[in-house]
Amino acid sequence: MTGADLIIQVFLDEGVDTVFGYNGGAILPTYDAVFRYNDTRGDRPPLNLIVPANEQGAGFMAAGYARATGKVGAFLVTSGPGATNCVTPIRDCMADSVPVVLITGQVARPSIGTDAFQEAPVYNIMSACAKHVFLVSDESQLEATIRSAFEIARSGRPGPVVVDVPKDVQNHVVPFQGKGLLDLKGYNRHLGEMNKARVTPQDAREFFKMLTRARRPLIYAGGGVINGNACEELRAFSKRYQLPVVTTLMGIGSVDTTDDLALHMLGMHGTAYANYAVDDCDFLMAIGARFDDRVAGKVEEFAPNATIAHIDIDAAEIGKVKAVDWSCVCNAKTALRDLLEAGKKVKLDCAPWLDHVATLKVAHRFDWERDTDKIQPQEVLAILNAMTRGKAIICTGVGQHQMWTAQYLDFHKPRTFITSGSMGTMGFGLPAAIGAKFGCPDKVVIDIDGDGSLRMNIGELETATNYGVPVKVLLLNNHGDGMVLQWQRLYFGHRFMGTDKTMTKRNFVKTAEAVGYRFARRVSDRAELKKALKAFINAKGPAFLEIVTDQDADVFPMVGPGLGYKNMITGPHIQDRGDPEPDTEELGHSDAF
Amino acid sequence: MKHTISVLVENHFGVLARVSALFSARGYNIDSLSVGETEDPATSRMTVVVRGDDSVLEQITKQLNKLVDVIEVIDLTERNFVERELLLMRVGAEGSQRGEIVEIVTIFRAKVVDVSPDSMIIEVTGSEGKAEAFIDMMRPFGIQELVRTGEIAIGRSHARRD
Repeated sequence: MTGADLIIQVFLDEGVDTVFGYNGGAILPTYDAVFRYNDTRGDRPPLNLIVPANEQGAGFMAAGYARATGKVGAFLVTSGPGATNCVTPIRDCMADSVPVVLITGQVARPSIGTDAFQEAPVYNIMSACAKHVFLVSDESQLEATIRSAFEIARSGRPGPVVVDVPKDVQNHVVPFQGKGLLDLKGYNRHLGEMNKARVTPQDAREFFKMLTRARRPLIYAGGGVINGNACEELRAFSKRYQLPVVTTLMGIGSVDTTDDLALHMLGMHGTAYANYAVDDCDFLMAIGARFDDRVAGKVEEFAPNATIAHIDIDAAEIGKVKAVDWSCVCNAKTALRDLLEAGKKVKLDCAPWLDHVATLKVAHRFDWERDTDKIQPQEVLAILNAMTRGKAIICTGVGQHQMWTAQYLDFHKPRTFITSGSMGTMGFGLPAAIGAKFGCPDKVVIDIDGDGSLRMNIGELETATNYGVPVKVLLLNNHGDGMVLQWQRLYFGHRFMGTDKTMTKRNFVKTAEAVGYRFARRVSDRAELKKALKAFINAKGPAFLEIVTDQDADVFPMVGPGLGYKNMITGPHIQDRGDPEPDTEELGHSDAF
Repeated sequence: MKHTISVLVENHFGVLARVSALFSARGYNIDSLSVGETEDPATSRMTVVVRGDDSVLEQITKQLNKLVDVIEVIDLTERNFVERELLLMRVGAEGSQRGEIVEIVTIFRAKVVDVSPDSMIIEVTGSEGKAEAFIDMMRPFGIQELVRTGEIAIGRSHARRD
């Protein structure tokens, strides 16, 4: 078989049912192999090939697919611009630990390094962004390389792997073994150690010594719990010891947000009660989380009264940001199982703390501006939440709408909230939703987007209708880049440079209609909100609903960049508890990210 | 503090690019980096000299360990090790200067490897400190060109991690 056929055969062996990608000169043989496979497959399942408007869209579709299913997402693009358009999704997947494999066509081996047509140094470019990159320079290594790419992507701390395949390698006739990986001595040894890692009895004793000494224990759970398929164990652990849980943006869905012990998201735009609980706790158990700056703020002041335990699969995360008192490099599932087993007889009595936390949850609950005719985005999401009841897969762009979605929507299960966390890539939501829908065809998938984010990959509206993908797009249009506007209001004297979009002539509904959305509506009157949302949810096929929202709405609470939680601003509608608020004038043009 | 890190890597295309990309992306400064094949042609060993406090070094070591092509990372600074650097220098030398230079070369156990009417090429091997001292001694004669390999280092017995 040819190298191209081999790539497709390995995809099938790896359980890939959908590939996202855009054809072009240097990848033509492999696209042809997809055609020929589907043409002669007989009873075998087809390999869907979904073509986006831009390769970046293919990357986020593969990422959405991977995030929603837990399987490796695959995308396939041509050399040069095809490959460079994938840099953003590859970096996004690296930053959020999402397993994807990208195959890029490369110019034929004799042409590499000659500035050939559509040549780009993919190995060098992707080296800085991906978990690993291969350039297949020896066709006899192609099969093992593609298989290893999948293995590397999904194992350990997951991440993106890029395989650059010269066109002549795709055309070359190669032997097919049907199995076999590259001999990656270092990676395999580390992986072996990682897979064997346990919480030792000694470690467990020390852990429970700290936990039983605590009067105000709290769990801080991140995306690693979801990536490590440890949500059941985390829920059991929280329940067994009655430990309240705060989650990161990436950790949303690791516990059921409607559970009494769920305190929801912590950090810069976390719930006030989550952040107060972090300030108040005397023991913090971080699991699959990494004290990111959007969480920790001013590191010295993060969880200032707590002893800290940290469980993570990645040794480099231990002590990277915050010094901890106890740590374990282990996958979350094994660590929680070991601790549950070792702590069978442990009893905690933290009733006053649980009362305290329950009081915080009520006293500092969310609220928004009600004394206005302008539609408040928070109200839109509260109404939507009452309709979807935590059962839909929700994707988002990046910015205010993303934070409100994280704050206002319920999620019962992991992998139902899909968002670009660490990279914060605008334009993520729509293609991710399309990918998620291919991965989970039985689920309702909604992209909650902002006008700025949607515009970044608006071409993908067409991809949804091209393939009849019934994703729903809920656009909260505040005619601006809301989050940046908010920072300009706070830190830059209301000078809205580059972020106010009231001049835009775009008619989003017509845009959607033009590419075939049968359901495409716009709401600017609050009275129509409920009815329109209901119709949107019930619509069959791709649906588009634009809601014109108040540009002045801010995301609260807010912990300013580089500040501690005690400086949290809860805003005009959420009750604070009288901590001093920072003087934003004095903060000036903050260098803190 | 100066650290000498020994990194055993797969002898593949692009590994050097990956390792150096890690250093530049994370803002670590490399004093020197040298690389060559080991006793096993499938692997190469890099000797990287970096400066930083313990927490920086811990991160460098951990991040290097995460690279798929990295087999083993040892911070030799914590162990008993031998370090050497090779230095080639062309220095201005006319008439009576030659005798003075040869005298210094002898003291440093260096080697004159080429002589021309107005210059000499000298080879020095040794630790970084020896190289620096030799350069200082030669400066007055007029160093025309200086090339250094960067440090390579090897642990004394039992330096390998099991």
